[in-house]
Amino acid sequence: MKQPVKSKAPSVWPGEIPIQSFYTAGSGGQIFFKALKQDGKLIGTRCATCAQVYVPARSFCERCFSALTETVEVKRTGRLVSYTICHFDRDRHPLNPPLALGLAQLEGATTLMLHHLLDVTSPDEIKIGGKVETIIKQRTKRVGSILDIEGFRIV
Amino acid sequence: MPETLGGTPLEAKSSRGGNIFTTSYVPQLRYAWDTGEAIGRYLQELKQERLIARSCHQCGRVMIPPRMFCERCFRPTDEWVYVKDTGRIITFSLCYVSWDVRRLKQPQIPAVIEIDGASPGTGILHVVKKVPPKQVKIGMPVRAVWKPSAERVGSITDIAYWEPNTKTKKRQ
Repeated sequence: MKQPVKSKAPSVWPGEIPIQSFYTAGSGGQIFFKALKQDGKLIGTRCATCAQVYVPARSFCERCFSALTETVEVKRTGRLVSYTICHFDRDRHPLNPPLALGLAQLEGATTLMLHHLLDVTSPDEIKIGGKVETIIKQRTKRVGSILDIEGFRIV
Repeated sequence: MPETLGGTPLEAKSSRGGNIFTTSYVPQLRYAWDTGEAIGRYLQELKQERLIARSCHQCGRVMIPPRMFCERCFRPTDEWVYVKDTGRIITFSLCYVSWDVRRLKQPQIPAVIEIDGASPGTGILHVVKKVPPKQVKIGMPVRAVWKPSAERVGSITDIAYWEPNTKTKKRQ
């Protein structure tokens, strides 16, 4: 008679799903990233009908669905609309110092842009409605990514 | 791309020159699946080079892979039963594409093996080797080829593959 196995292990089966994403910026994003990389400019697209300036640039208007062809350069400065201070990264590891994210409306844009809020670690240092400036990396360090922008700095 | 579809056709080479802006990300998708009582025991026994099933005294079935609940009688199963590591192919496929969509010159042969000692039609999905693809037949007797003891970890792949079992006579 065979003896049954007495061990209580294993109780779980571990595994890993190999997935890799690969996104293109699209025809609207292409305008934005090209200008950001080559000229350090922030470019949006304008819908005259809806009086909207989308930043980053996109290829159609979210309100009326018409194709957007008119590009607009917006300023690096703007107003802080909202923020959050993250004490954990997306893998749940503690962040010390914590990482601040800011939602800003740049002058000339009607949309909001999310990015790092630089050099702040506490809500005491932040005022909603306060002026921020977009900090862009040096030309040689720019690759055509949203991280060519370092973030917003409170001014 | 036909013009009627609109859009902007892209080729892989476009992204390499740095003219097309892209972003890539590899998420960490690890998981741990709770084997439960029945599959936990099943995996432990595989490590010991044994196949174990569960029987239900009401319907009389011997089920492999084992489960603690009889889905036919709607009651708990009753007993652990060791079954043989031989069986017959009850269905199979000649697969010319790997799981990650690469073309294969020599097909893989996934098959459901009806296990000797378990109820008819009760079987496990595994892979058959050591047989020319065109000679695989439904009803073909096969036997498990186990990995060496040191390589067994308590996994269904502790059985390396199934090969034709020439010692068994054809079922009447």
